[in-house]
Order: sequence, then C-alpha cells, then structure tokens
Amino acid sequence: MMETDVEKAIDEILGRVDADRETVEKDLKKFIEYGVPLDQAKEAVVTKYGGVAHERQLKDITPHERNINVVAKILTVEEREVTVRDTKRTIHRGLLGDETAVLPFTAWKDFNLQKGDVVRIKNASSSEWDGQPRLSLSEWSEVEKLDRDIEPVQRTPQKLPLADLRPGLSNVEVRGKILSMEEREVTVGDVQKRVFSGIMADETGKIRYSAWHDFSLHEGDVIRIRGAYVRKWRGAPQLVFDEKSTVEKLDEAVAVRDMVLPLYKIVEAEGGVDVLTQGTVIEIRKDSGIIFRCPRCNRKIRDGVCEEDGEVQGVEDLRIKAVIDDGTGAVDVIFNRELSEKLLGKTLEEYLAIAREAMDYEVVHDEIVDRLLMVPLQIRGDSIPSDFIITLFAREAEPLQLDYKKEADEILSQLEG
Amino acid sequence: MREPAWRIFAAEYNDSQHVLKATEEKTPSYVLTPLGAKVNRMFIVGVLTDIEDIGTEGIRRRARISDPTGIHVVYAETFNPEAAGVLSDMEIPSYAAIVGKARIYEPEEGMLYLSTRAEVARKSTIDTRNQWIIEACRGTLLRINAMKDAMNMSNPTPRQLRELGYPSFIAEGVTEALKMYSDIDIDTYEELLREALSFITSEEKEMKKDYAAEEGTLLQIIGELEGEEGALWDAVAEEAVKRGMAREVMEEVIILLMEKGMVYEPQLGKLKLV
Repeated sequence: MMETDVEKAIDEILGRVDADRETVEKDLKKFIEYGVPLDQAKEAVVTKYGGVAHERQLKDITPHERNINVVAKILTVEEREVTVRDTKRTIHRGLLGDETAVLPFTAWKDFNLQKGDVVRIKNASSSEWDGQPRLSLSEWSEVEKLDRDIEPVQRTPQKLPLADLRPGLSNVEVRGKILSMEEREVTVGDVQKRVFSGIMADETGKIRYSAWHDFSLHEGDVIRIRGAYVRKWRGAPQLVFDEKSTVEKLDEAVAVRDMVLPLYKIVEAEGGVDVLTQGTVIEIRKDSGIIFRCPRCNRKIRDGVCEEDGEVQGVEDLRIKAVIDDGTGAVDVIFNRELSEKLLGKTLEEYLAIAREAMDYEVVHDEIVDRLLMVPLQIRGDSIPSDFIITLFAREAEPLQLDYKKEADEILSQLEG
Repeated sequence: MREPAWRIFAAEYNDSQHVLKATEEKTPSYVLTPLGAKVNRMFIVGVLTDIEDIGTEGIRRRARISDPTGIHVVYAETFNPEAAGVLSDMEIPSYAAIVGKARIYEPEEGMLYLSTRAEVARKSTIDTRNQWIIEACRGTLLRINAMKDAMNMSNPTPRQLRELGYPSFIAEGVTEALKMYSDIDIDTYEELLREALSFITSEEKEMKKDYAAEEGTLLQIIGELEGEEGALWDAVAEEAVKRGMAREVMEEVIILLMEKGMVYEPQLGKLKLV
C-alpha cells in the first residue's frame, strides 16, 4: 500500500470528522495492520468518530462515499414504486440543495420529506447517476427537520430542445409555443391550487406541460421558461414549472414544424406525445386481425370469456399490432380499426364476411402480413414505455413514398462535402 | 429493449473480425463491424441469387442475397420453417427482404464466419430495395463521419462523440471499433457508398425504358446459340442486329439480364442462360 494513499485517506477522514491527525493515523494504521482493506478501514475510523461528524458541503460529495452528513433543503420530492429483486418498494426521490450545490437524492425509507423542508441528514451514502453523485438515504440514515431556512445555490439552467427532455431532468431552460391550455383546480394536501396544463411545442417536438402558478399564459404565446423540471406523467415526459421558475414572453415566432424523429429518440425519450416517425414493418404480432372485445369493459376477450366480466357476447374489432424498425430503434405500433381499415383497404365488415366464408379468422392475419410486412410507413401517435419495448398508439399512418434519386443525390453531396 | 434491425451492406458486415460476446445471461452478442455497427439483428433487402438445401434433417436452407457491395449469406433453420418455406418458393433471381439475427460461427480463435439467421423472409420489390440502399447508405455515412471525428480525437470517448451529436449507440460502437481494429480503411467504405448510390441513380435511367421485348428476343437468341460452351457475344450481337435491334440497346439489355441473374458469362465473351 502506498504511503500517499494512507495520507489521502487520513486527509479525507479529517475532512469528515472532528479528531486530531495523530489519533486518526494511529487508528487507521491499526486496522491496516490487521489486514482490513484501506477503504473499509477508512470507513471504520469515520464511524468511530461519527458522533462528532462534520456536516459537509454538497459540492464536495463524490460518488461512492459512505457516512455522509449534510444539511440541505428539499427542493422537489416525489413518491415512486420500484421493483428491486422482485420486491415492490416505495421510494422517494427528488432534489436537495445547499449554498454550494444541488444534488438528486433517493430515500429508501419514508422520512416524510416535504418540499421546502430544511433537514440534517446523517449517515447517507452516495452513488453515481448520469455522471454525477446522487445521495442515497437508507434504513440506517437519520433525518432531523431543522427550524431554519437556507438559500440553495441557483444553478445555471441547462438549455434544451423539447425533443431532448427526459424524465428526471431538472433546472432546464426551454423555449416554445403554447399550443393548448386548460385550467383546473386541484387540492394538494389541504391547499387548493390552480394548474394550467396543455401541450407546448418547438421546432424539434411537443411536450405536455403543467404550470403550478398563474403566469397568465394564453394559447399561441411563445415563452421562455427557466428552472423547469421534467417528470414522468402517464408514461410520457411532462415539463413542470412553478412560481420558482421564471417565465418570459417572447416576441418571436416558433415554427412548429413536424420533425420526423428517428426511432432511437422515441425509445430513449421513454414515451412522448404527438410524435412523428418513419420505419419499416418488420413483424406482425400474432394478435393482429379480428379480435373480440368485452361489450362492458372493452377489454380483449378470449373464447367468449372476459377476465373482468366473465362470459359475454364479444364485439368484433379490427386492429394491427406490428413492430416498426428504422435501423436505429424498434417500437410496437398499435393501429386501431379506422387506421387498419385505411392501411388494408378493406373494412371490418368485409373482413368478417371473408373470415366467415373461410370459416377461419386467421385469414385476416395472413392478409395483414401480405399487405404490410416489410412495408415502410410514416406514423404519428403517442408513445408509452413498458418493460421491453415502447408502444406507439398510432393516430395517423400512411405508406411512405421516397424519392430515391433525390435521396441518393443528397447523400452523395454529403459524401463529397 | 428490442435490438434494432441494422441496414448494413454485405461488404462491411463480412469485413468484421470481432464479436462482442454476451457477458451475462439474456444479454445479446454483437458483431462489431470495422465502422462500429454493433449488429445483433439486421434487415437485408437484395437480390436472391441462390438457394440450396443443406443438411439432411428437417428444413435447413442457405440463401445468397446480393446487395450492391457483396453477398449476404442467409440461413433458414429448421425451427423457422416459415422463413425457409418463403425462401424456397421465391424465384431466382428476385428481390427478397430478410429480418434476421447475426449468425456467428467461430470454429477456432481468429477464424470467424458471419452470416444471418432468418427470422422473417419475404418477397420484395424494387422500391423496397431502393429504399433499403438509401437507408444503408445513410447509416454507413453516419458511422464514417463518426469514425473520422473519433480519429481526430487524441483519446476518443463515447461522451465526446455524443457531444458532437452522434446517437449513443453509434458513439459506443465507433469507440469500440477504434480500439479493436488496427487499420480501418475509410476510403474503401466511401467508395463503396458511391458505387451503391450509382446503383440507384443509373437504375432510374434504365427503368425509364421497358426492354421486355428485347429481353425476350435476346434470351431466345442466346438459347438458340449457347450449346454446351455458351453463345459468343459477337454472334449474339450479330443476330440481334439482324432482328432489328440497335447494338447499344443489345449491350444494355444483356447487362440488364446479367444483373437480373438471367444470363451469365461462363467465360469472358460467352453468354449462357441461367
């Protein structure tokens, strides 16, 4: 073991606890003599003096540390269900900050953290998330609410196009046009609040937003928002801003133009609203064709039996479930009856007649394969993530026609440029 | 997440010398191409030039699919009789579309045989083939550009490439390829792109004219003259001119017939029906 490593460890311990150098060095070396690895020895010494541990500044925290003590203000917190080793657990995660930095945190136990609380946290640890440290509060951490306020550091917001917004991002700056807005009254705790929500757009895409403060926004306004964050809502990213965010009306036009998104972006975004994409049908899922739905709950039924409502008289429906792939990513797309009829050129009634004639509903599946497999399509819809694949619910779909010659010339010019 | 189906030219795929093996259960293996494509699933559209039954048990077929840069070898295995059936029902030559998985055979260290195991096979069209060439070109160009940018960095990392705007799967593959391949000849791949694109631009011209009648006449002439050894090119030309075909048209149509795989040259200057 290098002497400098030991020196570094001593420095680190002294940065975390109140003790004199000589004692710490003696304690640490004793552990090392007994063959305890340096990292563990370091933690053991820190634990020994844990009762008088320093509160550390958030900016000094690095990933993979233990026994961290801080005083910080809870800036955002939300409850989430996660599955860890097949067990469902409720966690709380959000952002906390002090005068020096803002960090994301995860609490594996319910400490009843509320937005705005100033807390002393003892015995937390840190992990790495997206290249930055994240504070982790476990069973063994302690949280004490303090009766004072701190003014957390204001970070420079990260400027992002709407297409790049991902759930979990915080303190972002965006610019866009309000396409729609509705106002609702909600009760949070005991407080009545007004929320303004809808869809906003820029040149790259669209996103749902909700504003927890009346910025007197109107449809058609072009605005810049600083200090918003992104959460997941109904499977898709949602931009959230409130009285702590600044909203500025801009006197400029935003060309809300449809950008065709490559599928990897739709996969990475983990869900989105009103996305436009192109790809080739490379698989028709087995449950495409004529299906039967429960007349009461609209669920798909099997052999005349609905999971919810038991034996029912099924209602015929036509739908296509297909894998669309553009070489960068793959999604499942569901085409409802209307779109299926349009793509196939026949109505449900016509298919029912054909199926009765053949005495086999499978013929419809075969025809879908015939018509659509390996066909390139342009699709618009909303996407929602599940465990293994993103599902896109198509609202519009049409076969894709390319001008190959023009495309070829364009690639050639890029090749020479 | 589901592996995307790479549109990749035969030349780049077959040049690959490295495989990224699955490290844990349920994680896939990838073929790492010299330009950094990490291929697990692929989508191929090209001309079916050959199909043969192999092995004795069950249905097992090997097909050759030609793209503008080379040949994709595609296996249809017993456990996927549907793909095998579709393939053997197709005429040779015809346009075929395949979705399949990278098939990696490494009998000994350093000896790598790459092919594709068909998941889905389908008769295709010239439109789909052209669309495929465009998509394959776009993907190749993106990797070429990323590779050039990475070569200009002293110590390239995926993060640096992402910051230049490359998607993460490209950034990762390109960085890895740069580590594993010692000599990546970018010029070759650029040349390959030009050739592939000329396939589309020149074909457009040919497609404007319908040579069905001339094709029929020439096939008939070659059939009459070929014998065992094949028909002499000049003799075919002479006969064609006699039947009122311009010499240039005859040459163009012969090339067309060869591209379609209906006529071949057993030796230079001789023509035979397939």
